[in-house]
Amino acid sequence: MKTFFDIDRFKEILDTLSRNRSRTLLTGFGIFWGVFMLLALTGGSQGLKDLLLNNFKGFASNSGFYIPTQTSRPYKGFQRGREWKMDLSDIDAIKAQVPGVDAVAPVGMRWGAVAVYGDRTYDGNFKGITMDYYSIETPKIKFGRPLNQMDMEDERKVCVLGKRPWEELFPGGEDPCGEFVKVGGVFYQVVGVDFSESSISVGAPPDWTITTPLKVFNKLYGKGDEVEFFGFTAKEGWRVKTLFKEVNDILARRHYFDPADDVASVTVNSESIFTMMDNLLKGVDIMILLIGLGTLLAGAIGVSNIMMVTVKERTSEIGIRRAIGATPKMILSQIIKESIVLTLTAGALGIMFTVLILSGAELAATKDGVLTAAFQIKFWTAIGAVAVLTVLGVLAGLAPAMRAMSIKPVDAMRDE
Amino acid sequence: MLLELKDINKTYFGAQPLHVLKGINLSIGRGEFVSIMGASGSGKSTLLNIIGILDNYDSGEYWLDGRLIKDLSEKQAADYRNRMIGFIFQSYNLIGFKTAVENVELPLFYQGIGRRKRHQMAMEYLDRMGLAPWANHFPNEMSGGQKQRVAIARALVTHPDIILADEPTGALDSKTSVEIMDLLGELNREDKMTIIVVTHESGVANAADRIIHISDGVIGSIEQNRDHNAARFGSGDLIK
Repeated sequence: MKTFFDIDRFKEILDTLSRNRSRTLLTGFGIFWGVFMLLALTGGSQGLKDLLLNNFKGFASNSGFYIPTQTSRPYKGFQRGREWKMDLSDIDAIKAQVPGVDAVAPVGMRWGAVAVYGDRTYDGNFKGITMDYYSIETPKIKFGRPLNQMDMEDERKVCVLGKRPWEELFPGGEDPCGEFVKVGGVFYQVVGVDFSESSISVGAPPDWTITTPLKVFNKLYGKGDEVEFFGFTAKEGWRVKTLFKEVNDILARRHYFDPADDVASVTVNSESIFTMMDNLLKGVDIMILLIGLGTLLAGAIGVSNIMMVTVKERTSEIGIRRAIGATPKMILSQIIKESIVLTLTAGALGIMFTVLILSGAELAATKDGVLTAAFQIKFWTAIGAVAVLTVLGVLAGLAPAMRAMSIKPVDAMRDE
Repeated sequence: MLLELKDINKTYFGAQPLHVLKGINLSIGRGEFVSIMGASGSGKSTLLNIIGILDNYDSGEYWLDGRLIKDLSEKQAADYRNRMIGFIFQSYNLIGFKTAVENVELPLFYQGIGRRKRHQMAMEYLDRMGLAPWANHFPNEMSGGQKQRVAIARALVTHPDIILADEPTGALDSKTSVEIMDLLGELNREDKMTIIVVTHESGVANAADRIIHISDGVIGSIEQNRDHNAARFGSGDLIK
């Protein structure tokens, strides 16, 4: 038997399609547009999602921050309204007694610290950290290196510049490593530049910040072992919310405040924020899928409609074919195959056009030579779209083809 | 007999049932040139459609080359039409987006003959019709006479048993009509092709050897006609 890829039959189909150009173009455009809309929406939403997630990049999604403030209840002989402060021993206690925490990162922070290099100054945020802090905020090193364990242990006077202080103090864009920057009367040697731009942060955005080892920071401000606040990450399988409770209980015991006193501390739970974001993005995904499928379906119905009109228009042609020996089956298969070829071609063009447009979007989303958001559709998404299209093409061609099949040659030729 | 009709009846069931063919008996032998003549509404076209297996009949028997043509499946009917019958129509019925040679090739395409062979056969018949230089022209680039000759080539290319022509000159001027009828006559004489022409024009009918008059669904008279040179395409019904 003749197969689909029989060159003769194929040529017949191509002839019919190519010699009825306006009809073919109109039908093809319907499919083209359907595919374009579906894929462009998919790619576009993915890219926007990436752009959105960029704001949170480098920030651990399973972290919590704990900031001590004032008590609001009298407890064990202490009056309410008492300020309390943590120190490094608290951090060690938490590390030892709360099995669910992974990293615990004490932080010291100064707003409005002035950094000076030569005749240039930068007025921003100065932060003291330990190595654990990098588990919460991943640095994106542009020059040099992040702080390391040796810096901490030896209490070296070194610092890592955020993007802004680097731009302000080194406007030439040069590598500042090895240079000395003065903060609060002390010179710090620059060891690296951190380009992290996460919009989520506690205290200050990382791109505004100059970081130094916590012990060095505490020495500068005469704070001894004090810890202004700390962040922690949860181990796999632990909820940040539960850990907060355990951490709070330990600190309440150590600093004599009522564990039920909600005002004694401020907590920031990144997990709940990320969960909310996640749900939002999932909702957007579902919406886009529905819109895309709706568009594609509308396109397929439109194609089926045009095919219907086409078959009507071709009544006499089909009648002639029938009169000179085409069986109904041959007519049916020809119409369906025309439909498939048209759908696949228009679909492929739709995919190409989408890829082109999305490449443009990616070009626009490229910053500092780094792609910030992936708009491009995946190979398998495109293949899947083609498969869906083929099925739709057959379905779209089926109804008109059935109609064409029922045309009797006599009726058709009297139609003149 | 190549073709035999026995008591063929056909009724169209509409709002008013219309008994179109009321017991037609007719035999046509191989190599005959017959015309079926009648006024419009006489049932001649219905008869042609039944002979051409384009339409069914209600009762009676139709034998074509020893086969009973009755209650055929669509597939069988298509196959018989393709192999045994060549059609020529008043309005040519060429496919507009196909060139002359592609139109002639089409019946062979449905026989599953390969492209090269098909093309060669189609060109052979176009050449016989004197249309070889026009092979790659589309129907709308040709005159009525040329289009009808393409249609004749298409009818002949499958070597059918019968050529059925339905008002083959209906859309042509009188000079071209004469040429087309001469061509059909020549095919009959030289190739021994069996030809049945349906017409309401006596001048056209006159080209045939036997004229079957049909009116109101019955065969009125059958007339032997050997003198083809009587006034052809003369003034209306007064000729002959």
